[in-house]
Formats: sequence, C-alpha cells, structure tokens
Amino acid sequence: MNNKYLEISALTKYIKYKFDNDEHLRKVYLKGEISNLKIHSTGHLYLSLRDEYSKINAIMFSSAAKKMLFTPKDGMKVLVTGRISVYEATGNYQIYIDEMLEDGIGNLYIAFEQLKEKLKNEGLFDSAHKRKIPRIPNRVGIITAPTGAAIKDILSTIKRRYPLCETILFPSLVQGDNAKDDIVRNIELANNYELDVLIVGRGGGSIEDLWPFNEEIVARAIYNSKIPVVSAVGHEIDFTIADYVADLRAPTPTGAAEMVVPNTSDLINYLNQLKIRLNECINKKVKYNELYLDSIKNSFVIKNPLIMYENRKQKLDIMLDKINNIIAKKIDNFKVKLNYIKANYTLNNPTVLYKDDIHKLNLLVEKLELLNPLAILKRGYTVTYQNDKIIKSIKDIDTKNTLKIKFFDGFIDVKKVGD
Amino acid sequence: MEKNAKFEDNIKELEQIINELENGNTDLEESIEKYTKAMKLVNICDKKLKDIEEQVSKIVTENGLEDFKIEE
Repeated sequence: MNNKYLEISALTKYIKYKFDNDEHLRKVYLKGEISNLKIHSTGHLYLSLRDEYSKINAIMFSSAAKKMLFTPKDGMKVLVTGRISVYEATGNYQIYIDEMLEDGIGNLYIAFEQLKEKLKNEGLFDSAHKRKIPRIPNRVGIITAPTGAAIKDILSTIKRRYPLCETILFPSLVQGDNAKDDIVRNIELANNYELDVLIVGRGGGSIEDLWPFNEEIVARAIYNSKIPVVSAVGHEIDFTIADYVADLRAPTPTGAAEMVVPNTSDLINYLNQLKIRLNECINKKVKYNELYLDSIKNSFVIKNPLIMYENRKQKLDIMLDKINNIIAKKIDNFKVKLNYIKANYTLNNPTVLYKDDIHKLNLLVEKLELLNPLAILKRGYTVTYQNDKIIKSIKDIDTKNTLKIKFFDGFIDVKKVGD
Repeated sequence: MEKNAKFEDNIKELEQIINELENGNTDLEESIEKYTKAMKLVNICDKKLKDIEEQVSKIVTENGLEDFKIEE
C-alpha cells in the first residue's frame, strides 16, 4: 500500500526535470532589483531579484560574476540573463545568472553592441585601414579636457620619457551631450596642424561619462582623420567604439603617452647600438680591404712579374712552332705532289710521245729520198746549168758560154771545143 | 640629413645606411662616405637627445596657440 507514496527527493527530481526540459526556462531575460546580496568567499553571488509583487532567488557563479563590468549592490536595478532550475536540497526554484547588466545602462549596452556591429560590417575596424603610428613623433596632438587627470598624466608622461616632443592640446568637452560634437570638431581642427599622432581620450568614469566615445560621429571622425589616432579612454577595462576604430588603443591616458613617445634613455641606448654597428661595419670593411690588398700583394704574378713575360714568350714559341709546322706540312704536300708528278710514266718515257712520229718521219725521209733528184745523180745522171738555169734541151745551150754540170758529188764547168 | 629634419627621419636614414653597409657590396670609398654621413647623423641625434630643450606644451585657443601649463 505504501507504494502510492513518493519520496520527497523523487518528487523534487521530477519537478526539476520539468523545469530543465522547459524551453522557455532555459534562457530567460529578467529585470529586477537586487536584494539580500551575499558574496561568498568562492566568488559566487547569492541574491534575490524582486519587483513590487514578486521575488526570485538567484545565484551567479564566480565564472560569470568575474565578467561583470560593475559591482552589484542591494537595491540596484539590473538586467539578468540565465536559466531557471530547482535546487533539490531546499526544493527552491531559482535563476542561475549568466550575465548581469545595470538597468538603464542596459539600453546603452544594446546601442553599443548595435553600433559596434554596424561599423564593423562597414569595415571601420579593419586592420587594413589602420594608420602606422610613428616610432618617434615630433609633435603630438592631444584631444581631451584641459583639466583633470588625463591631460596631466599624458603631458607628464611625455615630458618624462621624451621631452623633445612638442605637444599641442585641443581642449575639448569629454562628457555630456555636447561632448561628441566638440570631440569631432577638435579631431577635424587637429587635422589642420602638422601632427605626427593624435591622442584622443579622457580619464575613467561611469559608462555614461565615457559615452561620447561610443558615438557614431566620433567613430567616423577618428576613421576619417589623416593623422593616426591613439584612443585613451578611461581605464584598462573600458572598451569604447573609439577604441575599435582608432589606429591604436591605449589602456589609459598614461598608457597612450607611453605608446606614443619613446623613452629618451632607450633612444640613447639604441643610438649607441647603431654607433657600435656602424663602427663594426666600417672596421670589417677596412679589414676586408686590407686582406684583399695583401692577397693581391702576395699574388704569384705580382711577386713574379717575369711570369707575365714568360707566358708571352711561351705563347710566341708555340705560335712559331705552329707556323713552322704549317709551312713544313705545306712543303711536304708539295713534295708529295712533285713525286707523284715525277713518277708519271710519260714523263719517265718521253719517247712514247714521239715514237710514232719518228716512224712516220723515217717513212717520209725514205719517200723524200726517192724523190730527191740528187739521188738520181748517184746513179750516173747529171744536171746541166748555164747561167744558173737548168738546161733541159740542147737548144737552150749557148755554146759560147760555159756550162756547169752537177754530179752527185760536185760541179764541173765545160766548154764546147771545136766548131 | 638636415639638422631640422624629424628625429625619426634621421634615425630611419641612419638605419638604412647601416643596413646597406652590413648587407650591401659597397666598395671602400663608398663605405667611408656612407660611414661619415652616418656618423654625422649619429652626432645630430645624440646632441638632440643630450641637450634636451624641453618643449613647452601649447594649447589651441580662440587666439591661436598659447603656452599651456598644468595647474597643480
């Protein structure tokens, strides 16, 4: 029969299960006032949130509490985000807070996030647009209030680190409704001066105090500045739109001055280092040249100048040899040709050239012999001349004159005797 | 290399000359020329840093630039 009765823990578990599985309770946005705030030594916050009619217990674990940008107090109006669940030991339901913002500021926070998103999408935060901050500025412009900690910190830091630097203050409102326009006007004004870098900022304050640096027109003025801008708003933890759009974000005004100007003693050290490097360079160069000169002085040719002449002499000899060789070869060639010619058969047996002719000649001579009238004389015939004319008929003879008779071996003159 | 040039420009020129000397193949004469120039720059910078003339802060007013002193 006892089976009907549940154990408390079973019921509580069931209720807890119901809460945990309800989508609407997994992420709730609540608005209320803090009461019964207790901060445990572990860093967890225990509190109640209430309005006129109701109350809810709340817990914020230290991991979430650490991210809060303000210190919660009883009576403070807050906006919280969290989930609803049941603490089984007491059977109480409560909100486990993930995020807590001051109410009123909550609206500013939303505006901040929206503007940040918008400008980011427009590319105003792109690192490609960031101007380079000069290493050693000659003249620094400062846009901030002429009184207060910020300007004092900035100027004293600059003078301590790098007194050579010129500083020009553009006195500006830095809080209140008119501050944004004044800051914009001063950024534009500063761009008419020859400045190497511009510090724009103010000292710490509430989120409302810092608000001008979250204004869109200020962000755009910083973006449009031709002079690189270093933002220096509030404390380390304060992030403003100006910080995102500036070319460099400094955590504080003092930090800005430290980032903008070098330390004189560092510069002197650096200069000394450069001097050392310079001297090392030139010493190395001189030593190198000395060694080079030595190597030239010790070179074989300089030490043995005759070698230059010898080389040429050798070259000449080689050339002479070459020429001789060429000529000898030519002569040899001619000799070979000559021998070849000498070995020619015809040349060695020239008779072959006229052997036939001799034979012909002999035949001709024989023939001529036959025809030679003088040959007939040998056979006993004679030729008779008178007055150098051959006498062919007795009628032609002048008897009163001498006749000349030619024998094969001589002449005789004859004369008619008698009548 | 002007006495009135910006300090940073002098330092930059100095660094460039040293880089050229360290990495370049400048001959001796050119090196000595560069060295002399660099030494002048070192002296200008050194003098500037050591003979500190503190700059008076200025404030932009309706009448133009005026000296600015923090009231303690």
